[in-house]
Formats: sequence, structure tokens, C-alpha cells
Amino acid sequence: MMAADPGPDRRAFLSGAALLALALGVPIAALELSPGDSPSARQQAILREACALVIPRSDTPGAGDVGVADFVVLALAHGLEDSRKPLTAELAARYTADVRSDLSLLHLEWLEAELDRRSGGDFIRRRPEQRHALLAALDRAAFADAAPVHPWRTIKALILLGYYTSEAGGAVELRYVPVPGRWDPDLPQTPDTRAISNDWSAVDFG
Amino acid sequence: MDFDAIVVGSGITGGWAAKELTEAGLKVLMIERGRTIRHQIDYDTETKAPWDMPFRGRGDTERYLRDYPVQMLNRQFNEFTEGHFVNDAENPYTTAEGTDFTWFRSYQLGGRSLTWGRQSYRWSDYDFGANLRDGHGTDWPIRYADLAPWYDKVEDFIGVSGAHEGLAQLPDGHFQPPMALNVVEQHVREAIRARWPERCLTIGRTANLTEAKPDEGRTACQYRSICARGCSFGAYFSTQSSTLPAAQRTGRLTLVTDAAVSGLDFDPATRRVTAVRYMVSGQQHRATARLVFLNAGAFNSVHILLNSASEATPNGLANSSGVLGTHIMDHANTLSAVALMPGFEGHTTFGNRPNGVILARYRNMDRMDGDGHTRGYSFQGGALQGTWTAGKREAGIGLDYKQKLRHPGAWRMVLVGFADCVPRARNRLTLDRSRNDAAGLPLLHVEFAFGREEQAALTQAKRDADEMLTAAGGRVIMGFDQPGPGGTAIHEMGGARMGHDPATSVLNRWSQAHDAPNLFVTDGAQMSSSACQNPSLTYMALTARACAAAVGQLREGRI
Ligand SMILES: Cc1cc2nc3c(=O)[nH]c(=O)nc-3n(C[C@H](O)[C@H](O)[C@H](O)COP(=O)(O)OP(=O)(O)OC[C@H]3O[C@@H](n4cnc5c(N)ncnc54)[C@H](O)[C@@H]3O)c2cc1C
Ligand code: SF4
Repeated sequence: MMAADPGPDRRAFLSGAALLALALGVPIAALELSPGDSPSARQQAILREACALVIPRSDTPGAGDVGVADFVVLALAHGLEDSRKPLTAELAARYTADVRSDLSLLHLEWLEAELDRRSGGDFIRRRPEQRHALLAALDRAAFADAAPVHPWRTIKALILLGYYTSEAGGAVELRYVPVPGRWDPDLPQTPDTRAISNDWSAVDFG
Repeated sequence: MDFDAIVVGSGITGGWAAKELTEAGLKVLMIERGRTIRHQIDYDTETKAPWDMPFRGRGDTERYLRDYPVQMLNRQFNEFTEGHFVNDAENPYTTAEGTDFTWFRSYQLGGRSLTWGRQSYRWSDYDFGANLRDGHGTDWPIRYADLAPWYDKVEDFIGVSGAHEGLAQLPDGHFQPPMALNVVEQHVREAIRARWPERCLTIGRTANLTEAKPDEGRTACQYRSICARGCSFGAYFSTQSSTLPAAQRTGRLTLVTDAAVSGLDFDPATRRVTAVRYMVSGQQHRATARLVFLNAGAFNSVHILLNSASEATPNGLANSSGVLGTHIMDHANTLSAVALMPGFEGHTTFGNRPNGVILARYRNMDRMDGDGHTRGYSFQGGALQGTWTAGKREAGIGLDYKQKLRHPGAWRMVLVGFADCVPRARNRLTLDRSRNDAAGLPLLHVEFAFGREEQAALTQAKRDADEMLTAAGGRVIMGFDQPGPGGTAIHEMGGARMGHDPATSVLNRWSQAHDAPNLFVTDGAQMSSSACQNPSLTYMALTARACAAAVGQLREGRI
């Protein structure tokens, strides 16, 4: 579907943005963010670090290597994983500093503040193993939390989505088999068996 | 006369009507409101990978909430397939207070034949006899024997793969070889049969080819499970892969797309539909024919008849009975049970089978053993392994976590219940005179609620599903007994029911309007009851049968 003609000013902005997008390898839509959705450089750095910590580089690229943070910014701005859904008033009260007027969460503001708080200062300046431990502690707390939504659980879901739907995650870390050509209903699974990233029922229901 | 016949709609049933009527020698005009989608050429996203898509195949939630708030609720709807579903914002309908009805639609050449789930089941005399037996609705004027040869014909042509099981409630058909159950499903089938010999879990009967049909240019299925994007192999049945080329081969089909039918003209003196009115780019057109087939999808066909009211037919065309629009149905549908299936850790599969399993109805057949309900329910679903998406629900970061998500995950088995929906007069379609569509016609208004019967059936279904999966060694982790909103099963039907009596039904046993013998309605609108299995194969068989009847009556000069 084509968007309506954006008009000269916006067009100039878009073409500049398109060049930037090309340079960064980011989808152009990522740059069409309203001011409230454009993270600061520091927030982006923290997010990139979180990506790399969740899915580190191993014998395959990690989430910090393949632009997952840019995808997460785009996804948060467009409400994927229900990230723009307003919180209940009760939950919003827990996050007062980081909610929009419609009670949806400002995830990256929250992440920055939360990791800094847990670091007792500047998360970015911690040593790598400390950053890992701090994020792992946040992760454990988030999954132990009984609330129906938690900002870290949302961010982590988007990191996984961004990574396993990237070419590196989907076709290098996992297998991508666009035309299987046959159906084998029972094969041995060994410790070497890699998941197929386009096993859609697994993706949807697994 | 411009044409011998006009077919309204090009979906599953319209394609069949066009094929049958043109092959019988008639000159046919097919009118489709949506855009053209050419087989193989226009399946734009078919071979795209998630990383080729701006939103990685998930789509732009913000835009979906604005433009596709209903369609986005359906599992087949995503960034690859969004172009095959209607824009809800541009195609509104209204609902009564207290009605939650999700109407899933595809307005395009091929209609929902492009997006459907392809599950293809015969109905049985438990279904055609249901209304007579428990007194809900009106008796069907046909029985299984009337339809059996037409099921044969439809299955032979579209290609349905499945296993013969010899079940009275889910009659066998002319099947291509079945797809195999996976290792866990095979185990569950056997475990259920050992304890409940009358309960049969079998592979889904699906309109995906396991054997090529080279004469029709259709290849066997490649196990991709991306069918709703459109399939260039022609390996599943759609209008584009199957019926449309057949109709076009006759040289007698005229097709217009981007043309929405707004109403039919009726001559009370001759009791005939005399013309079909349709809009193209804001311009009104008219075409005439000796026969008219309505195949716009159940609710749209009723909408057209309601919007065709005239001085002679003030309550809508073919509505002297007053039942037009009433007794609409959809299967009551819910996730009855999900269980973890330990013991299969060393097993996996290869390929994306575009098909699941069905556990055929077993209640209220020869013994009335329904708990608070008189009809049936069945289950569909399957066994599958988890994958990286399970990581969203687990604590963990770092190398170990990445390593774990690299492998296929735990097996689980899912049973989704589909319960018969009782036909009720209060569940109905009317015109909303307070709001008009782009063509200035009143919008369709839906009033729908499930009742005690469906609630009771799904409660029993949940109990049974839990018991069966537990007996098969599963650990049930969740299950529901509340139906989703009406429309969830995407089997909306009824509104122009068949019946014996013109005073209480819209159509006769040939899907022919009692009030206008040259008018046939052969989509889901004609259904008098719902059964608990997918309906489209039955719509196709009824369409082929109605076409033969119409051509016969035309030749005999009776219409
Ligand atoms: C995701 C999904 C999964 C499904 N799975 C299954 C399944 O597994 N098994 C099963 O049996 N059924 C399934 N269904 C339902 C099935 O698709 C429908 O029952 C079937 O398509 C109905 O056929 P039809 O010809 O009546 O309508 P459609 O296929 O919907 O076609 C109607 C056509 O008429 C056109 N039209 C509408 N109004 C007008 C008008 N005023 N003027 C001109 N043209 C008009 C529409 O644009 C459309 O092309 C599924 C549906 C969906 C969406
Ligand atoms: S699964 Fe089979 S029918 Fe479906 S798109 Fe792939 S090849 Fe075509």
C-alpha cells in the first residue's frame, strides 16, 4: 500500500532518512518516529548492550551484531508485542515516571533508568561481566513478577523476535528451509538438531 | 439478455458456480467486488523471508489496530498475508449492543479461497437430521444421500488428501493419500482408541494435493505451510488454482473485478430476478441474465438480498417468509486443552505440514450423551514442538540461553473444540439504516450470541480433552470452556436457510429461492444447521448440485 504523497518538506526529510537508513541497514520506517519515540543515543547504547547480552555472539552472530536494537526501536514505536497497549491504572502507578499520557509505557526510558538504578550509577560504565549479572538479575526479577505485563519481558520478546527473524538468527543460527519439499513425521532428534526458523506452527504456538 | 447466468462473487462457491455453469455451456458473467489477483503472478510475498519484510512478517501493529482491528485477530493474518484480507476501516459493519462478532473477510478475486484453512469434511445424516431430531431450526430438505455424489465430484476435482476411517459421522470421501500423523499424534490416536474405541483422531482432510494434478497444472504440496500468501505450485485448492482456469478454458466466462453488486431487480409479475446492479468506480452498471447465483459469502449474499427491497418486496428480496437474515450461526470455538507431551524428546519432524488432526464427533449420535446439549462437538489441532518463541516466557540471557533456543523445544499437543451452533431466530442480520457504505447503501448489522447449548458443549469438550490428553500421558497446562466471539471459527453461515416450506424458509432443496425461481444462493447463507465440522466442502457440493438443477430446469424451459 502506498502512503499519501508526503509533501516537499517531509519528502526531503524522508530522502535524507532513507540514505541514513541505507547506511545503518535499518528499515526506513524506523526513522519515521514521532519525537517521543526517538530514543536518545544513550538509550540506544543501553538497548544495544541488552541485545548483545541476551543473545551474545557465539559461533554465530549475536543480537548486538545484526541491528536488532534498531528493530526493537521500530517495534516499540509501532506497538509490536502489545508494547503500546495502555497499562491498567494500578500497573501504571508502578511506572509513573515512564508512562505516556495514554498509560502506555516508555520502554527505553524505563530500561535506562532501571539498569542505572540497579548499577547504582551508570550501567554502561560497568565491566562486561557486571553488566551481564545486572541484566540477568533484572531478567530473573521480571520473570518472577506475577504482573500480566512487565517492560523487560516485552523488550526481551522484541529482542528475540528481532534476532530470530533476522537473516543471521533465522538462517545462520537456526535453519531456514523455504521449500522443504517433503514431510517426515518422525526423525531422531539429536543434540545437534537445529530448529527450523520457518516452522510456523512452532513459532505461533510453541 | 446479456448472459445466461450471472455469478456474484469469485470465492470458493462462486468459482464452483462459474465452472459448472460454463462447462454446461452457459455464457456466464462473474462479478467480483475486489481486485484481481493473478495465479502465480500476483502472490507478491510468497517467497519472501521474514528479514525481507519491514516488520519481519509480524506487521505494523499500530496500522493494524487502525485499519484491520478485526482481521488482525485471525491467526492467518500477518504482514505476508495482509493484502489478502479486507481493510476493516474501509468496509465497516455494525453490531448490536452486547454482540461481539468478528467477521473475517477477503474481498478479492478468489475471495477466501486464497486464505482458507483447507480443512474439507463431509457432513453426515447426524448433521442433516439434526434440526428434525431436536426441534431447533427447520428440517433440512435434503439428506446425505442427496449430496454424496456431489461430494465425490468436488473432492475429485479440488483434490482432498485424507485417511479412510469408516466413520458414519464423518463419511469417507474420494481421497488422495493422507499426510502422516506425526509421532506424537500417532501415539495420542492410539492411546485414545485404546480407552475410547468410538473416538477417532485422524489426520486432517485437507484440500492440499499429496499427488500432483498435471492436467490442471497443479503440483503436489511442498510442505511450506504458507498457503494464505498464495501458492504458485497450485498445491492447494483456490479459485485461482482450480475452478477459475477451468471456467476460463470454456471461453464462456466474462469476469469483472472491482465491481460491487448493490442489488438485484425483481419483477413481481414474472417472479424473476431481471437484473443485477453493480458499481464500478462510483458508476452504476446493470447486467441481465436468465439465472442469478449469489456466492458473495453468507453474510454478503444476505446483505445484497436485504438491500434489494422494492415496493413488491419491502422486507428484502426472496423474503416473503420473513426469515431472511435470521438463524445465522458460527461454530462455538475454543482452545479446549494444551498439554505437554513428555517422552518424545528424541523425536522431531521435517517439513511444514499445512494440516493438523481432527478428532471426530462422538457425542449425541446414537445415544444422547451430551451434558446439557443435543448436538456434537469435535476437535482439531495437532502436536508440535516449541521453538525460540518459548524463550519469551522464560528467564534467561546469554550463551546457555541462546544454545537452548537453538534446538526444537518441548512437544505439546493442542485440541481446539468446535461445537455445533444451534440455529436461533434472534441471531440475525439486518440493515443498519443509520449508516451507509461508500455506495450509499445501509450497512450490515449483526446481532449474535451463543447460548446455553454451545456453552454446555464446550464445557464438556474441555473436560473430555483434558481426560484424553491425560490418558495419553500428557500434562495439561491450560484449557478453556468459553467460546470466542461469534465469527471466531470463520464458519459464519445461515441467513437464507433451506427448508421444505416457503412460509418458513428462503430456499428450496435446490438452493433456489422459493420466491424467485431463477435465483440461487449457494454459499453459506443456505445452511439450516451448522454441524461441527468445517462447511466449505459442503458449500461446494451444494453449489455443484444447484448448478446441475438450474441448468436442467433452464433446458426444460421451467425457468
Ligand atoms: C483464515 C481462514 C481459514 C478458514 N479455514 C477453513 C477451513 O479449513 N475449512 C473450511 O471449510 N472453511 C474455512 N474457512 C471458511 C471459508 O473460507 C469460507 O467458508 C468460504 O470461503 C466461503 O466461500 P464463499 O464462496 O461463500 O465466500 P468467499 O470465499 O468469502 O467469497 C466471496 C466473494 O464474494 C465477493 N463479494 C462479496 N460481496 C460482494 C458484492 N456485493 N459484489 C460482488 N462481489 C462480492 C468477495 O469479495 C469474495 O471474493 C476459512 C476462512 C478463513 C478466512
Ligand atoms: S504448503 Fe503446500 S499448498 Fe501450502 S503454500 Fe506450500 S506448497 Fe503450497
